[in-house]
Amino acid sequence: MELLKNRLVRLNQPTQPNHIQTKFMLQTNSICLIDHLQEELCTDNDNGVEDGGQSGDSKSDQVAEESDSSEDEVAPRNTVGDVPLEWYRDEKHIGYDITGKKITKKDRQDKLVSFLESADDSKNWRKIYDEYNDEEIELTKEETKLICRLAQGKAPHADFDPYAPYVDWFEWEDAKHPLSNAPEPKRRFIPSKWEAKKVVKYVRAIRKGLIKFDKPKEEPRFYLLWGDESSSVEKTGHLSYIPAPKSKLPGHEESYNPSPEYIPTQEEINSYQLMDEEDRPNFIPQRYASLRSIPAYENAVKDSFERCLDLYLCPRVRKKRININPESLKPKLPSRKDLRPYPMTCYLEYRGHKGAVVSISTEASGQWIASGSTDGTVRIWEVETGRCLKMWEVGEAVQYVAWNPLSELPILAVSAGQDVFLMNSGLGNEEVQRKIKDLMRVEKSFAPDDSGNVASDLSWLQDDEHGGIRLRHFRTVTSVEWHRKGDYFSTVMPADILVPHKIPIALFSILIHRLSDKLTQKLPFKLHGLPVVSTFHPTRSIFFASTKKNVRVYDLLKKKMIKKLETGLREISSVAVHPGGDNMIVGSKEGKLCWFDMDLSSKPYRVLKCHPKDITSVAFHRSYPLFASSSDDGTAYIFHGMVYSDLNQNPLIVPLEILRGHTSANGRGVTDCKFHPRQPWLFTAGADSLIKLYCH
Amino acid sequence: MARVTKHKHYRPPGKKKEGNAARYMTRSQAVKQLQVNLPLFRRLCILKGIFPREPKKKVKGNNHTYYHVKDIAFLQHEPLLEKYREISSYQKKIKKALAKKDEDLANRLRTREPTAKLDNLVRERYPKFVDALRDLDDCLSMISLFAALPAEQRLKINVELVHKCRRLIHEWQAYVARTHKLRKVFVSVKGIYYQAEVEGQKITWLTPHAIQQILPDDVNYSVMLTFLQFYETLLGFVNYRLYHFINVKYPPILDPRLEALASELYAATRYIDANSRALVQHNDSISSISDLDKAQQGGTHHQESELRLAQLQHQLPSNEPGALMHLIEDNNGENEDDQDTKECKKLFKDMKFFLSREVPRESLLFVIFAFGGAVSWDGDGAPFKEVDQSITHQIVDRPTQGHKYLSREYIQPQWIYDCVNARIILPTDCYIVGRIPPPHLSPFVDNEAEGYVPDYAETIKRWQAAARNEVLPMPSLGKEDLDDPQNLLVEGYINRAEAIEAAERKRKMESLEKQYHEELKMELQGVNNPSLASKKTKTTSPENEEAKEESIPDIQQIADDAEKMTKVLMSRKKLGLYEAIEKNKQRKKTHVNKLKERKKLHETQKSA
Repeated sequence: MELLKNRLVRLNQPTQPNHIQTKFMLQTNSICLIDHLQEELCTDNDNGVEDGGQSGDSKSDQVAEESDSSEDEVAPRNTVGDVPLEWYRDEKHIGYDITGKKITKKDRQDKLVSFLESADDSKNWRKIYDEYNDEEIELTKEETKLICRLAQGKAPHADFDPYAPYVDWFEWEDAKHPLSNAPEPKRRFIPSKWEAKKVVKYVRAIRKGLIKFDKPKEEPRFYLLWGDESSSVEKTGHLSYIPAPKSKLPGHEESYNPSPEYIPTQEEINSYQLMDEEDRPNFIPQRYASLRSIPAYENAVKDSFERCLDLYLCPRVRKKRININPESLKPKLPSRKDLRPYPMTCYLEYRGHKGAVVSISTEASGQWIASGSTDGTVRIWEVETGRCLKMWEVGEAVQYVAWNPLSELPILAVSAGQDVFLMNSGLGNEEVQRKIKDLMRVEKSFAPDDSGNVASDLSWLQDDEHGGIRLRHFRTVTSVEWHRKGDYFSTVMPADILVPHKIPIALFSILIHRLSDKLTQKLPFKLHGLPVVSTFHPTRSIFFASTKKNVRVYDLLKKKMIKKLETGLREISSVAVHPGGDNMIVGSKEGKLCWFDMDLSSKPYRVLKCHPKDITSVAFHRSYPLFASSSDDGTAYIFHGMVYSDLNQNPLIVPLEILRGHTSANGRGVTDCKFHPRQPWLFTAGADSLIKLYCH
Repeated sequence: MARVTKHKHYRPPGKKKEGNAARYMTRSQAVKQLQVNLPLFRRLCILKGIFPREPKKKVKGNNHTYYHVKDIAFLQHEPLLEKYREISSYQKKIKKALAKKDEDLANRLRTREPTAKLDNLVRERYPKFVDALRDLDDCLSMISLFAALPAEQRLKINVELVHKCRRLIHEWQAYVARTHKLRKVFVSVKGIYYQAEVEGQKITWLTPHAIQQILPDDVNYSVMLTFLQFYETLLGFVNYRLYHFINVKYPPILDPRLEALASELYAATRYIDANSRALVQHNDSISSISDLDKAQQGGTHHQESELRLAQLQHQLPSNEPGALMHLIEDNNGENEDDQDTKECKKLFKDMKFFLSREVPRESLLFVIFAFGGAVSWDGDGAPFKEVDQSITHQIVDRPTQGHKYLSREYIQPQWIYDCVNARIILPTDCYIVGRIPPPHLSPFVDNEAEGYVPDYAETIKRWQAAARNEVLPMPSLGKEDLDDPQNLLVEGYINRAEAIEAAERKRKMESLEKQYHEELKMELQGVNNPSLASKKTKTTSPENEEAKEESIPDIQQIADDAEKMTKVLMSRKKLGLYEAIEKNKQRKKTHVNKLKERKKLHETQKSA
């Protein structure tokens, strides 16, 4: 203590500084020291060491006496140190005292009680809870004042004067010598060389015009840019400019107050959420009761930005928008009135079959029709009255019926299962009957020919039950077609791919039978693919055999293929040849109808997509320019199909009528359609066990 | 021997590129060729108006942007490119000076920064004034948007820019208002759409509502600012030219007092007014004095007319056969236009409006000025006060009006807009303060083409007709007869049904016509009760409908069949086109049906 005091005195004593700077340094040092001393002194005082002689000596000592720095207070009873107090939050103690014992926490007071207490206590405002020591401290008056002063930004001590008069410790009176003895240098008296250089540089720059001082003159920014329009028409030699399309003009729904019908209902708005992001409308109309209630549009800047992006990032292409009247796209067809007669309305129904009628056939005279059904019966009807003339029970579901095309030979060919029956219809006069009976007799001593052309395992048998001939095939026969002369007929057995057969399938799928000789032969040429249907040429000795995709045309005399018609269809279901023989229609299971002009090309002249479901049958009229198609969708189409004798003129095809009336059963609608041989009438057989006659 | 692998686009060495490969280049190729960075390339493209092209065959792949080689060459020869290089090197100088702590030099450099002038570009992109007008839509929309945006230093939208935009758009609006070129106004949720017709060009622009706008973060403002830079130049020149042709000095010197009160529009219009009037007088005096120079003037006049003719001929494609016809038509068009302008000028003639505080002042001022009305508003600088007895209409947008003058009508602002669109003075009953006004309909929609006419459009049409003192035949009915394809098709087939229908239609038409005339009469007498009228129609209709229903299914079937059969014969291409058209029609129809359904629903709700 003594030592410190001596030091202070020594410092306080004015020395003889000969330099101003050292003096300043000393001064600052001394102030620091004084501060420190003050604290030292006051701790001394508190420790009870009376040092009365010193206390009154200097001002600093007086200040020291009133000091209340933290060190003069009692040491904190908690000794945990500077640790986060939350470590002890869940403990029962707040720390340890100096002896290492736990200091337990005080009981928490009831909030209500503490509130009441605080309300009662007038000194409550100066109480502070010390978390560290877990005790409440009441601030003294001096302490509160000190806090106030600190809060005001003043020095904590009331007595401290920040603006105390400056005491110059340095004594100037006795100074005999100057602070520095060095002589004044020359550079203090001559102008700077470098400055001169710099000035010259600037002067030169100004002279050269590199540095300009006057502000650039303001020109009027806008002027008459498009003054003389006439001179501006010269071509820029640049690509053609495509102006950006203007943005869409707003409709009624964008109004701030649209009609109520433009505002979607809540359900609709909810349904927008389920929509795809792209389909979702980006603007939902809303209604505001008055102009003042319209809020700012939140996408204003974004919309504008998107427009900008469109303008400079989107490739622009000039697209021609043609305003087409859709009616003009439709082909111009001749009036249907001029194309009469054609079947239009249902005139008669032939009822009697129990199951779906699968096949019908018209007799050459046009007086009778035969029908075969899945209920295993074949019936003959009188066309004009609808009377059922005759009925045979075949026993199996009938696949196909076909009249002999000769009117003097009323024989009916019926295919049912693996059998083909040739039945005597019993029509015609006695002479006819006799002739038929002659024809229908099969000699038992029938010796099969050994030549390769004849199918050996096929037998012509006398069928007494139905009064005719029975031809037993080795597979199911789907169609029977007569040659125009009524002597030959062909049967088609579509190959069952799943069942492997000993005999080459393709070779024996189509057989040609001759009635007069009771002879069967296979086709004299090779068939490519599996046949579906076959038919004879109406006038010449040409045979058509159709596979699933293509139709092949064979010459029966020369025994070779003439032509292959490429249909481009997926699966052919039926074919029909125009009575002229040069045109042909092909129906497919995808509902398409192809018209082939065989002179023109092997590709279809026209493909008509008319039915949504399978086409079951197509037919040409023998004398009228009509053809028809029937489909499983329960409709039949009637077309006008005019073939001109002039080869340069293409056939004219006009759809005339859609015939409805059949109801579909088991997914099958109209199963067969046949024209009347003389009248423009159409017979249709339906899966609803009805046969209908449509007349003009 | 090295095997030559054939690429997809293999080109033997020495052979030049041809086709699309030679004609188009990708964006990165273009950037490389121009030796610029991507932002600068973008800026150049925007300013120069160059856009990507769609080559038929994309040589480099689908996910590239293609530019035409000529476009890029066009950019390469642009003096602006050099200018931008200069600017960037100058910026480097400033940066360097700052880095060397040479504030002085930096400041001195900053005083003479080079700036890019876009005058040539405007001229180049729009060789004729009409071209500029045609492309003005986006320009005006953008500038009016920026005039409403808050200045944000962070996004480089500074205060001067916003003020410049405000000024430009007000100058434009002042021109439109003073020359009465405004045609249509539509208040939408997005803002207010205006359509003006200047020199035969329909210019539509959108101004946002005068409310604090939101600046979203997912927007590239530098792109927008580049656009704005060009648009601002363009609009300046357009305004100059427009002002020049009505003999007003540009840029206008505005009354600083009004400008301070943020009613620049009014100031600008006043300026135009004053100036043009003075100039006209001036011209008059000159002409009266210089009688002596008449002969010479005649000469110049002759020259001028020749020049004009040459201009007109230039505007027309010369090889067209009916060039002269076009010329005459053009003249006619101008005359009509004039009539239109006259009509617009007279709409609010002799009417005095007063705007309350809460109505959108700028928009209404613009519209009322443009249609020849006199306006004042609540605030400083207003030409007349609220107490003025000659005010005919006060525009108010508050729930209730406290003190009311009996001499004037208190209406909502929508009345003004609806009147403008209908071009007649509508009855004010529905627009009275406190009432929900009738629907505000878009004037840009062709109701007939859309297939659905809102009720209020119908009433407005009738009012228009009544204002013209003519009795319209019922156009909708007559058209329906002709247009209905079903009827047409059926006609060929079933005569009986047709006869029945025709008779029925005739009857119906007669009754409707009668009723319509009655209604019209009532309307003219001032009885406005549409509900009563509609009730009447309902009472008459049901018998007719019953009669109709009997014959419908058969006819429907026949029509369908006919449709199907024609389709059978169509080629695939035509069928596709036909079906697309039909689909479009169907979509339109469903939309209309939905509207009708909603309307019905609304009506039932109302009555319940």
